Amino acid sequence: MKQKIMIISALVLLLVLVAFMVNDFFFSKPDNTNPYEFELESVRTGDTTMTAYTETRQIKTTLEEIHGLATDALGRIYIAGKDGVEIFDPSGKAENKFKIGGTAQCITVDENGNLFLGMQEHIEIWNDSGKQLSEWNTCGADAVITSIAVLGDDVFVADAGQKVVFRYDKKGNQISKIGLKDPATGVPGFIIPSPYFDLGISKDGNLWIVNPGRHSFEKYTFNGTLLSSWGKASMAMEGFCGCCNPSNFAFLHDSLFVTSEKAIERVKVYNPDGSFRCVVATPDQFEEGTKGLDLAVDKQNRILVLDPVKLLIRVFEQPKK
Amino acid sequence: MKKNLALAFLISLFAVQFMNSYGIQRFPKPEFESGYIQPETLIPNPRAEILSIMDTAVLLISLSVVSWLVIKKRSRNGVFWMSLFALSYFGFYREGCVCSIGSIQNVTLALSDTSYFIPLTAIIFFVSPLAYTLFFGRTFCAGVCPFGAMQDLVAFSPQKLGSRLNAVLGVIPYIYLGLAVLYAATGTDFVICRYDPFVGIWRLNASFGMFMFGGVLLVAGIFIARPYCRFLCPYGVLLNWASRFSRRHITITPSECIQCRLCENSCPYDAIDIPVTVKNPEDKRTMARKLIFITILIPFLMFAGGWTVSRLHEPLAGVNAKVKLAKQILNPVTEKNQIETFEIQAFKSQGKQQNQAFAEASAVLNKFYSGGWILGGFIGLVFGGLIAGRMITKHRTDFTPNKGTCFSCVRCVDYCPVKLP
Amino acid sequence: MQNRRDFLNKLCRGTILTGLAATTGILVFRSAKSGHCEIGSSCGNCLKSDSCTLTAAVLFRQTVWQLDPTKCIQCGRCAKNCVMTPSAVKVVHVYAMCGYCDLCGGYLKPDTKTISTAAENQLCPTSALKRKFVEDPFYQYTIDEALCIGCAKCVKGCDAFGNGSLQLQVRHDRCKNCNECSIARDCPSDAYSRVPANKPYLLQGIESSSDKNNT
Repeated sequence: MKQKIMIISALVLLLVLVAFMVNDFFFSKPDNTNPYEFELESVRTGDTTMTAYTETRQIKTTLEEIHGLATDALGRIYIAGKDGVEIFDPSGKAENKFKIGGTAQCITVDENGNLFLGMQEHIEIWNDSGKQLSEWNTCGADAVITSIAVLGDDVFVADAGQKVVFRYDKKGNQISKIGLKDPATGVPGFIIPSPYFDLGISKDGNLWIVNPGRHSFEKYTFNGTLLSSWGKASMAMEGFCGCCNPSNFAFLHDSLFVTSEKAIERVKVYNPDGSFRCVVATPDQFEEGTKGLDLAVDKQNRILVLDPVKLLIRVFEQPKK
Repeated sequence: MKKNLALAFLISLFAVQFMNSYGIQRFPKPEFESGYIQPETLIPNPRAEILSIMDTAVLLISLSVVSWLVIKKRSRNGVFWMSLFALSYFGFYREGCVCSIGSIQNVTLALSDTSYFIPLTAIIFFVSPLAYTLFFGRTFCAGVCPFGAMQDLVAFSPQKLGSRLNAVLGVIPYIYLGLAVLYAATGTDFVICRYDPFVGIWRLNASFGMFMFGGVLLVAGIFIARPYCRFLCPYGVLLNWASRFSRRHITITPSECIQCRLCENSCPYDAIDIPVTVKNPEDKRTMARKLIFITILIPFLMFAGGWTVSRLHEPLAGVNAKVKLAKQILNPVTEKNQIETFEIQAFKSQGKQQNQAFAEASAVLNKFYSGGWILGGFIGLVFGGLIAGRMITKHRTDFTPNKGTCFSCVRCVDYCPVKLP
Repeated sequence: MQNRRDFLNKLCRGTILTGLAATTGILVFRSAKSGHCEIGSSCGNCLKSDSCTLTAAVLFRQTVWQLDPTKCIQCGRCAKNCVMTPSAVKVVHVYAMCGYCDLCGGYLKPDTKTISTAAENQLCPTSALKRKFVEDPFYQYTIDEALCIGCAKCVKGCDAFGNGSLQLQVRHDRCKNCNECSIARDCPSDAYSRVPANKPYLLQGIESSSDKNNT
């Protein structure tokens, strides 16, 4: 009898094992919850109550790659990219298009209507009918030109590779270097981990340069004296996140800053004193991983955003109250 | 001996090393002015490849030694100590991976999928125990397989199960083998590895489920000796058949059997065939009838089995990851509080085409359909063979170990009073 | 009768032996030279290549499991599914790719008020990612492997806000190299594959020196 009990109980154990195997193999479901979940979606969408702009129009470009966006005093829109420049009239109608020999990373237009193109390590100057006027090769072979600003006879060139801003005259002579680290005068030096380095000239004639590694905007005189700076590193709406942001900026008519970032693709507006004002576009309006949202402001104070992934110029306006 | 020394020398030269890596900067390196030196990313190496040669050598040497101990020396002691060595080397040192039982899956997958790389070690682990069994019987089971060694250690009170129970339960390994081959050939899963009861013990690190599985099996093993070997091991099926045709096999008596019946209860595994004398031998007519019955039964069972299992090909294939993904695409999440599975999230983020996923899934389903026919036919054949085996009585005068199921553990030898002159 | 039985025995034995030999032959032949070179054009003793001249060495190659960080979706299963506790999959820091940012996307929670090493600011559930000041404004981030459980929270953060220098990888001093990896079986993005044991890592942004010692 004892023998039988032993056999039966051992057999039962064996059958339990087989049942366990069958159940585990055919009927178990892998867990879809992640106890270590890092919720990023809310960070990407952000607080939509702060959005004060809506997208009103999109302008399609026919270029293969686009990197630079600019407007002129008449409100015309210029797009520069791989092997070409496209010009649109203020209503968005295509006006002109011409070929250039190479890829332009940035573009700006002076008061005479001449186009200054940053071509990786040198600068080319063209007129708007597609004729090259001159070429400046004095930045150095390691230069990565990411932004140009022009006022009067001064041309400022931002070089992300050598982490410095060059000052040129209109003839192409290099006058000085701005922004080199100098503890004596309090210039901290530019920290540029990735090739996004923007600058602009404000209405009051000062040179504003983004220091992306420090997430700040620095105000310089044309001679290179640091006057002030603002900027905060934070992943919240009010600050700039990641290792190097903002990637681009532009000035609105009343000296407001409009900034764009990468990683969390946002376009925001700041007051002239650096305090946060409102949001123009949130990350869900862009493809994930979009970089290089170049900005420009047109005659009607509308914000133009260059979307290099969708190959569009996106126009944002504040809704009329 | 020389081979061992040379190997030992080579092995001592190669230790697992840490290697440093050299970086290419994607973005310019921050320029450090304080003299900071960037650390290197450490990438430790896996087990040196030359040690796999050592594993193969140990396997072949152990097989040879155990076969000699079983056939020539007939020494239970020797086999016992060899099994302990096998447990420590293949079990606790190598942590049970790679093993001959699992190698079935590697070989199957390598034969069905030409892009799968099978290392020579795995091939040797598959082939050599079978080759040795063809010549010497299941000496692998006796002293080389760590699973057997584990179970042998706990067999304190082995019970006789009777031939019917042994025969019925003996079908399970065939089904397990068939399923393992099917799932390995379709690239779905390595089922044998998944339900390995002892690997958690050897790694000294296991989940609760794995540990309980092994523990329960060992507890059952106290009363049913070698439960895994007899009623689960898929490799045992192959060894069983190789052993039936082995050239030499362990015999209980060193020369002649005197039918003294002293060895009758010596086998913990019910593997001794006792003498069978029939009072009324069957006449030719009954035998012919039986033969016709078997001839009709086996193909019928094979067809029935194949038909049944092929009908089940969808639930069987439901475990395959590609089929699961296709199902999830077809039934997207509609309720608000139901989260998307990670598989769907990954599928979307990788931008794969839906029709490609469906094509892959239906290819798998087709494989399961044809595989189902083969598996079902195989199981039908097994059942047919089982019934046929019960119908045929073999006449026997001596006590002999059953060539198929005997593990060559040499326990029975010590019970035999016959001594060589 | 006995002779017939013996003959049948011999025949079956011979058949099985032939089958074994044929299987071995097919597999050895296939593994030795089949397919194209997957690892790269420069011969790093890869597993199977028509141009490979080291047939014998190729046969003794072993493979190990590794995950491709470009496919990883940071689902957290690497921490749960590994048969080892803690998981053999851990985060590796590719210093060459790191931006050394003050506001590290992999270290800090997104809603931190201040940037410091305070525990409430850290993403890592086991505090395995350590932050150390180097020089203004750079901070060095290192991983204490004994603490890391492979949950990939920091990987997700670094991928989203930084350069992606924190990557999940199988650590071969801990991995048991199971015949079937229980993480690989459940990886939703199919990021796991077997790689040659002499090139066992698939790190982004690193050019690993080929093995100098394993010949």
